[in-house]
This record gives sequence, C-alpha cells and structure tokens, in this order.
Amino acid sequence: MEPTLLGHNRTGSGLNPGDTQLMLAAVSELSPPGRISTRQSDAERISYITDADSLGSIPPPLGASPGASVETASSLTGVSPTVFFDKLGERIAFERGSTRLYEALIAKYVALVDSDGAGLETLQRIRSEELDHFRMLCDVATQLGADPTAETPSGDVIGTASMGLLQVVTDPRTTLAQCLNAVLTAELTDNAGWELLTELARAAGQDEVAERFAEALADEEEHEAIVTAWLKSLVTDAVGTPAV
Amino acid sequence: MTLDLMNEKGTPAAQQLMSWKELAGKPISKLDDDAFTRVRIILMNGLELDSLRTKQVALRMNRDARVELAELMRAEHQQATAINWLIGADHSPLETTIAYEQVAIEVTASVAQLEPDAYLAQAYRYALLEDFDHLYRYSALLDRLEGKDANNIVQGYTDIVPARPTVVHHRAPEHDLLRPYERNAALATKLHALTLTGGEYQTHDYYMTIGPLFADPLARQLYAEIASVEAQHITHYGSMINPDESPLERLLVGEACEIWNYAACLEQETHPRIKALWERFLDYELGHFQVALRLFKDIERRDPAEVLAQTQLPPRIEFRGHREFLRETIARETALRKDGTEFVEEGKEGRTSLEYRDQVNADGSPSSAVSETYSWAPGTELARPDLAA
Repeated sequence: MEPTLLGHNRTGSGLNPGDTQLMLAAVSELSPPGRISTRQSDAERISYITDADSLGSIPPPLGASPGASVETASSLTGVSPTVFFDKLGERIAFERGSTRLYEALIAKYVALVDSDGAGLETLQRIRSEELDHFRMLCDVATQLGADPTAETPSGDVIGTASMGLLQVVTDPRTTLAQCLNAVLTAELTDNAGWELLTELARAAGQDEVAERFAEALADEEEHEAIVTAWLKSLVTDAVGTPAV
Repeated sequence: MTLDLMNEKGTPAAQQLMSWKELAGKPISKLDDDAFTRVRIILMNGLELDSLRTKQVALRMNRDARVELAELMRAEHQQATAINWLIGADHSPLETTIAYEQVAIEVTASVAQLEPDAYLAQAYRYALLEDFDHLYRYSALLDRLEGKDANNIVQGYTDIVPARPTVVHHRAPEHDLLRPYERNAALATKLHALTLTGGEYQTHDYYMTIGPLFADPLARQLYAEIASVEAQHITHYGSMINPDESPLERLLVGEACEIWNYAACLEQETHPRIKALWERFLDYELGHFQVALRLFKDIERRDPAEVLAQTQLPPRIEFRGHREFLRETIARETALRKDGTEFVEEGKEGRTSLEYRDQVNADGSPSSAVSETYSWAPGTELARPDLAA
C-alpha cells in the first residue's frame, strides 16, 4: 500500500470555483439562505424519544425463580444490581470485541510494517490481555449469578458504538496510523468503562472483584499510553511510509 | 382460524393508507422479543416485496388492470415498509443476516414437512441444507469480526453447525432448475413455492445491498459468495412455479399466499403490538384478494376454482424450531447433489457444475476460510472452556 500523499482529491468545492459559483447562483434563486432552523426535526425526534420502548432488559440471575427481577433475586447490595449487571455486560461485550479489533490491527501491522519484532509482540500481548479481561469478566459474572452469554442493553449499545472503529481497522485501505487513531478511541472508552465498573464493584462491597477490575484498569491505562505514543511517533517520525 | 377466500371481504383498498410516522413505527427489541417474532417480520417483508414484483410484471402485461394494480401496489409497498422498519437499528447488518438465515432454515423446514408433492419436498430439503450451512459460516464471521454470539439472535432455536458445505453450493445454471408443479397442483404446493421464492429473493437483495458496506475484505467475499447462492435459490424455487400460469392467475394465487402467511403469523404471534399488525394486514390482503378475484373473472374470463382448486386454506407454516427434522435431514441428505432437475448422489453431480465451481473457487473459498476450525460456543469461541489458560 502507498503512503498518504498529495494527489487528485476531487471532493472540495475549491477545486472547481466556476461550478461552485453556478451552484451558489442556483441556491440564491431557488432556495435562498435564511435563518437556520431544525425545529421540526427536533420536535419529531423528541416525540419518538418520549414514545420509545427501551432496547431491552437485564435477564434475572441464573437459577432465579421464573419471573424474578434482577433487583430482588440478586445478592448485590450498595448498588443497583440492574445497573451493575448491565455495565458488566457492557465490559464483556467490549473486551470480546476489542480482542477481535486487535486481531484486525495485528493483520494490518504484519501487512504494512513487520511480521516479527517488538511492535508485533506488543500488539499480541495487548490482544491477549483483552482476552484475559473478557474471560475474567465472564468468571465474575458467573460467580455473581449472572449469565455472561446474555447481551445486556449496554452491551448492545457498545456493540453499535464500536461498529465504526471496526470498519476503520478492517478496511484494507487504511494506514496503521489511521487504525491506531480508531483504537485510541476504543482505549479511551475502555479506560472510562473500567474506572466506572471498579467503582461500582467497590460500592457493592465486592472488594475481591474490585481488585481484579483495578488490575484490568491498570492494563488498559498502559494500552492507552502505548497507542497514544505510537500514534504520535508515526505521524511525526514515519511520514511518507505506508504506515502513515 | 378458518378463512373462506371467496367470502371474506377484508378492508377495502381505499382505506389502507398509513402516514409516514405509522410506517416508521416502533421497532421490536433485539434483546427481549422472541426470535420468531423477528422471523415472521423478515418473512412477511419478503412476501410483500415479492408481491410488488409480481404486480409490476402483471402491470406490464395487462392494459385493462393497470389502475387496480397500481392501487394494490401502493398498499403493498406501505405494508412492506411498516414491516421492514420493525427491525431495530441495534441489529448490525451481520446480525440481521443471521436472522435472515434463521428464517430460511425454520420456514423452509416447516414447508418441507407440509409439502404434499414428494419431489418438491425433496427440493425444499435440498436448499434447506444450504441455508443451514450459511448460518454456520455467517456465525463464524460474526464471532470473529464483531466479537458477537449468533445465539443472541437465534436464541437457542436453531443449531449453528455445518451442513452441505457452501463451497459446493455453486452449480452451473442448468442444474439450479426444478421440474415445475402441474397446473392442477394442490393449492398448498403453489403457496409453498411462492413463499420460498419471495423469501430467497429478499435475502439475495439484502446481501447485495449490504455486502459492499463491509470494510473487511473477507466479509465482502463471503457476501459475494452467498449472495450468488441465494440467486441460485431464487431460480431453484422460482422454477417450481408453473411457467404457463398467466400474470393475473399468479396475482390471484399471490394474494392467497399473503393471506395464508398473515393468518399463520396472526395465529402464532406472541407480541401484542405485532399481532395487531398481522391482523390489520390480513384484513388488507383479504381486500386485495377480492380485487384480484374480480380482475381474474372480468379480464381472463376464467373460473377462480380452476386455479385455487380449493378455497379453504391449507395447513399453515409452523413458526418453531425444527431441530429434530433438521438433524435427520442433515444426516440423510447432505451428500445429495443436482444433475439438471434431478437429485443425485455426490459422484453423479452435473459435470458443468464441477467446471463452474473450479472457476469461482479458483482463488479460494471465502466460506471455508472464514469458518476454518470454527465451533460455535455459548458467548463466542473466545469463551470456550477448553481454551482457558
């Protein structure tokens, strides 16, 4: 793949000033600019939000009697069990997705940079830690009576939110730097997610679980630092290479 | 529910219009609603789109029916929109694909058991084993690309295992054809063929639309490969239909087909809001049938009884998991192949299919590559207990 270079990008209106003038003349005659208003769209969206059903629910704990709610069937105290299991499901979905995201990033690195060496080892280690986090979360969910295979509403939402990141990293045309930018978004979100989940575990009096979460948070802080530094290094020191 | 096609008047076509907001109503819940509610939604969207297709052909071939057909198409289009918009945006395109394959599997399994013609029942089982394999290949992609468990969609009703491998689904065109049913075939036979043709058409068109939206090159290859098989399935099921039927005859049977399917949905739906929609659209279709009946009598000057054979609708599709039937069929018929319109043993497949396959698989098999070593496990293969450190 070629590096990002100057070329024949056709998207800007500045490239064809004559056509742009003709377009503006048409606008002036047929849809002259006035005060900008999105009032009707806003009202429509608000109406849908007011009327909407939720994305879904949290399943009752495993083994709970039929019809039991999470709130009554869970032994968790100090936090809302519904919120805790929803956020736990979010992290399960995210860590599992991140494992796959790093697999895609590793393919990119091998194709564009090196099929060996320290960079690859770092990426493989991070991917392995994401997988460890996923499996640890599944253990914790099971230990607390939740089904780790259930998709919770926040797990569903984080899947939707991550789709753009996945599209960036799996596109054969993107550079390593562009992919690292997408992965940085993931890592920043991941750090905030682990901080919140660790706090919730502490509030629930689940000290041993909170400790395991804090260890995962420390890993993620390192991942974020690595990705941030790597991205900075590429855009300053590797301009003109296929990685940028 | 007993419906007498000749005597149920339904909702008059003039009273069937909906506003844009009604068309873009509340979607179902991906997480909480039963998988078979989504199965019915996808199936009925496919049938509505196929009914539009049938009517467009009839429009081009009937000067005297143009106004009525245009009116019917306006209603059918609105129905298709209201139904298709029930799928929530938190379904990724690949998750919706999993749902499409579940529709193909469970609906075809039911139809295969209902079909009175032994040859056509074989044909349903044949393509069923291919859609069943597609579910396995797409599930592997969902797991390995998006990190998601296909069972969040199929909800334990449908097994996620290989059947006849997708890599051998590719046949030369002449081997996709079937012997059509006779003109005096049972009404059930006609309804089954139309239902599956519409379903496969929709699946093909969906894959052709979303395939290029993926960035991942393997996903793009897999959609290209399976869309091609779905195109074969349109021919497979479409060639069941008697080619001597007139467009207005097909219109009449098509309206009966929609009634039959909406009645099945209404009888088995567990979601109150969606059940009310099926009831409303069943009444719409009964109204459409009356228009089709009038056109058939006035323009073709024929007795509807010679087309419908019976006016009581046959037994309905059963919307449920058909696990045992599927396992038996996989065990018995995975090795079957096609030679012209006939089903043959593996070594007797039509030679031109082997040549065609050599060409399309020349650069590798996307469906094989994406599912290499794949075994479904609860929570994705990353959660497999045997992989614990």
